Amino acid sequence: MATDLATPPAKAARKARKRRADKVPLGTALLRYRWLYLMLLPGLAYFVIFKYLPMYGVTIAFQDFLPFLGYSGSPWVGLKHFEALFTGGDFGRLLFNTLFLALLHVVFVFPAPIVVALLLNELRLNILKRSIQSLIYIPHFLSWTIVASLTYVLFAADFGVLSGWIREFLNDTAKIDYMAQEEWFRPLIILQQLWKMTGWGTIIYLAALAGVDPNLYEAARMDGAGRFRQLWHVTLPAIRPTVVVMAILASGNLLDTGFEQIWLMTTSLNRDVANVFDTYVFYAGIQNASYSYSTAVGLFKGVAGVILIFGSNWLAKRLGQRGLF
Amino acid sequence: MSAPRRRLLVGVLTLTAALTASACSGGGSAPQTDPNTITFMSKLFGTAPEPTGEMQQALEKFLGKKLKVTWVPNAEYSEKMNVTLASDNIPQVVVVDPHMPAFVKAAQAGAFWDLTDKLDKYPNLKPADAQSALNSSINGRTYGLYRMRPLLRSAVVIRKDWLKKVGLEEPKTIEDFYQVAKAFTEKDPDGNGKKDTYGLIIPKWPGDYASASPYDVIETWFGAPTGWGERDGKVVPGFDTPEFVEANKWLKKMVDEGLVNPDFATLDSAKWNEPFFHGRGGMIIDVNIRSRQLFDLYRESGDKDYGDKVTMVGNMAKSDTEKFSYPFTGYADSLAISKQSVRTDADLDNVLKTLDKLATKEGQILLQNGIEGRNFEVENGDTAALINEDDPAVKTVQDNVDDAFVQFGTKGTVDIGGIAYQRVPSGQPYRDILDLQKKLVEEDLKTAVHNLALPVISATQIEKGAQIDKIVSDARVKFLSGAIDEEGLKAEIKRWHDSGGDQVIKEINEGLAKLPK
Repeated sequence: MATDLATPPAKAARKARKRRADKVPLGTALLRYRWLYLMLLPGLAYFVIFKYLPMYGVTIAFQDFLPFLGYSGSPWVGLKHFEALFTGGDFGRLLFNTLFLALLHVVFVFPAPIVVALLLNELRLNILKRSIQSLIYIPHFLSWTIVASLTYVLFAADFGVLSGWIREFLNDTAKIDYMAQEEWFRPLIILQQLWKMTGWGTIIYLAALAGVDPNLYEAARMDGAGRFRQLWHVTLPAIRPTVVVMAILASGNLLDTGFEQIWLMTTSLNRDVANVFDTYVFYAGIQNASYSYSTAVGLFKGVAGVILIFGSNWLAKRLGQRGLF
Repeated sequence: MSAPRRRLLVGVLTLTAALTASACSGGGSAPQTDPNTITFMSKLFGTAPEPTGEMQQALEKFLGKKLKVTWVPNAEYSEKMNVTLASDNIPQVVVVDPHMPAFVKAAQAGAFWDLTDKLDKYPNLKPADAQSALNSSINGRTYGLYRMRPLLRSAVVIRKDWLKKVGLEEPKTIEDFYQVAKAFTEKDPDGNGKKDTYGLIIPKWPGDYASASPYDVIETWFGAPTGWGERDGKVVPGFDTPEFVEANKWLKKMVDEGLVNPDFATLDSAKWNEPFFHGRGGMIIDVNIRSRQLFDLYRESGDKDYGDKVTMVGNMAKSDTEKFSYPFTGYADSLAISKQSVRTDADLDNVLKTLDKLATKEGQILLQNGIEGRNFEVENGDTAALINEDDPAVKTVQDNVDDAFVQFGTKGTVDIGGIAYQRVPSGQPYRDILDLQKKLVEEDLKTAVHNLALPVISATQIEKGAQIDKIVSDARVKFLSGAIDEEGLKAEIKRWHDSGGDQVIKEINEGLAKLPK
C-alpha cells in the first residue's frame, strides 16, 4: 500500500526499492528520508482534504437531501434518483448529445495539437517557430465567456462580420442565425475548441519532440530517408507514448463536455442538441435545487469516466503500448 | 508490507487527519445571537457601502443596532443564494425570491420562520396589500415580508422621431402596433436610403413561460391568461388556450416579414438597448422604466434632444372594445428570517421589532431617499429632490442608497415613493415620461389580467421543473423561427402535459381550492 502512494516508476526500480526497504528497519528509513517524507505531506494532505473527504458528499445521491436537514437528517431513498434518471425522458438525448460531442472532440480536437506540433517541428527558422508558438497559446488564456462573445460578434445574424462575408460570398441574402441553428451548434462548438485549445495542447507534444535523439534523424538521412520517411519512422514512434498517455487521460474526460462553453452557446432553438450531462446537472441541481438528483447524475458520469479510463488503459496495454498504470 | 512500514503509513495519515480537522474548524462560525446586531444578506448594484460610512452609521443610529450585511452583486445573487441556503451560515434576514425552488424547499423543511399569523402584532409589518401578500406566499403561508413593487410595469417603448418620420400615430391596438412595426421596417425611418431597420426588438429571454417576456405580454394582449387563468371552471396554463396560438401566429407573421430582429433567439438580453440606441430597431416591449434607461443612453452620448428620441405607450388593445393588459406580481423578493440564526421566539420578536422600525415612514425614507438635508430635500411636501450632487461625500451617501440600502425597502420604490418620498429626476423629459408612466399604469390596471396561480406552488413543478419548464418556452421560440410548425408546437405542449404537466395542473387547482379566501 505504501508503494502505491509513492510515484510509480518502472517496475524494476520499484522491485529494487522494495527489496532495499525490506532490509532497512523502518525507523532508520524514516529518519534517513525524513525530509522526503515531509515533502510528501502537503501533497498527501491536498488529496485527502480536497479530493477524498468531499467524496463523502456523494452519499446524498441516495437521499432526498435538504441542506437544512443535513446529511444525517435527510431521508434515505435508495436508488430512486438513479431510476428517475435512467427511466426519465431526457436520458437518451443527454447521452447521445454528450457522446456525439465527445466523438467530434476525439476526431477533430484531439489530433489537432499533434498536427500543429509536427508542423512547428519542421520549421527551420527558430524565431518564427517561437513567435508562432507564443501566439497560438493566447486563446488558452481567454475565458469561454469571451470566446462566446467573439463568436457572437462574428456570427450574429444581424451584423456578424463572418456571417456578412459568407452572405456576400454565396450571394445569398437570407440572414442565417448560426448561433441559433441546431445544425450549426456542434460545428461552432468544435471550432471554438479548436481555436482555444489547439495551441496550448501543442506544449506537451513539442516537449516530447524536443527529446528525440538527433542521431536517429541523422541515421535515417544516411539511409536515404526523406522528410516524410523521417516523420513516419522517427518522429511519430518517438512521440507515440505521449500520444497514448494523453489519449488515456482524455478518455476519462470523455463525458466532460465542459459546462461553461456549452451553457453559453445554448439557446431555445438548439437546446435539443445542446443539452449535455454537465448543463443538465446545473439546471436540475442549482436552478431547481434538486441536489440529490443532480448528484446522482454527476456520480453516474464519474463512474462512467472511471470505467473508460481503466478500459482504455487496458486496451492500450493489449495493443502493446505502455499504459498509465 | 512489513509492520514498521505500516506504522509509517499510520503516522502519515494521522498527521493528515490533524491537518484536515484544523482546516475544517477554521471555516465555520457560530450563529449570530448577539441581540444588538442584526445580520442581512442582500443584493448589490454597485460598490458595497463601508460599514463605517455615513449612510450605514445613520441607519445603525436610527435602529439602535449594529448592522452586518453580506452584499452580493445582483448578477450572481441567485447562485449565491443557492449556496447560502445549503450552508450553515444563513444571515438572520435574507432578501430572497420566495418562489425559487431552493427557498421553497428550505422553507417547507422549516429553515425559515412561518410569519403567517405573527405579523399582526407589529403595526408596520401588516401587509399593505392583501393580494400582493398572497401572491408572495407559498400556498397561503407567508415566509417573508414582500417588497412592494408597482402592480403593472409592462409598456411599449418607441422611437419617437421614427414615428414622426413615417407619419404614424402612437399605436393603441394590436393592428396599429403591426402597422408601426411594418413602417419602421419598410419606410426607412433612419433615412439612410437602405432597408436596414426592423420594428420590434426581442432578446434571448432568460426566463421560462410566464416570466414577463415580450412573448408573454403579447399573448395576454390577445386574451390568453397571464400565466394561469380560468377556463370552463378550471385553472389552466395560458398555452392551453387558443389565444396563445393566435398570438404566436401573429408574431410569427411579423418575424417572417422581417419586422423583428433576426437574432431574437440569441441577442443577449443585457444588450437589449443597443439595437434601439444604434437605430437598428424601433420598439421594445418591456418594463416601463426602460424608457428612462434609454434616455440615459442618449443623454450620456451627448444628445441634447434625447427627449425626442423615446416615447412610451401602454398595453395594446385587441380591438376597439377588448383590451387585456399584462400585470406584474406586485412584489419583488421578500425579506425572510432564518431559523438557523434566529433560534427562539424571543429572538424572532427582537428581529421583527427591528424590521418594524425599518418599515416606518422614517425608516423607509432613510432606505429609499437617504439623509434629509444631506443628499436630498423635500419638495412640495411629497417629493425628494437631490442636493449637493457635486460633493463626493454626499455622492457616496447617494450611491449607498441607490446601489445597496434601497434593497431593504419593503414599502415603495424610488419611482412610486410608497410611504417614502418619490424621487423627482432632473431633466424635463424624465419628469414628463414619469408622469406618462403613472398615467399608463393607472389606465392599464383597469384591464389587467391577473395570474391566478401565483400563490400556489406545485410539488411536481418543484420536483420536475428542470425537465419540463423549458419545453413550452423553447417550443414557442422554435415555432416563431420556423423550426417547427403549428402541429409541432401543439405536440410540444402535449409533451409538457405528458411529462408531468397534467400533475402540475391538478396540484395547482387543488392548491387554489385550499387557499384562505
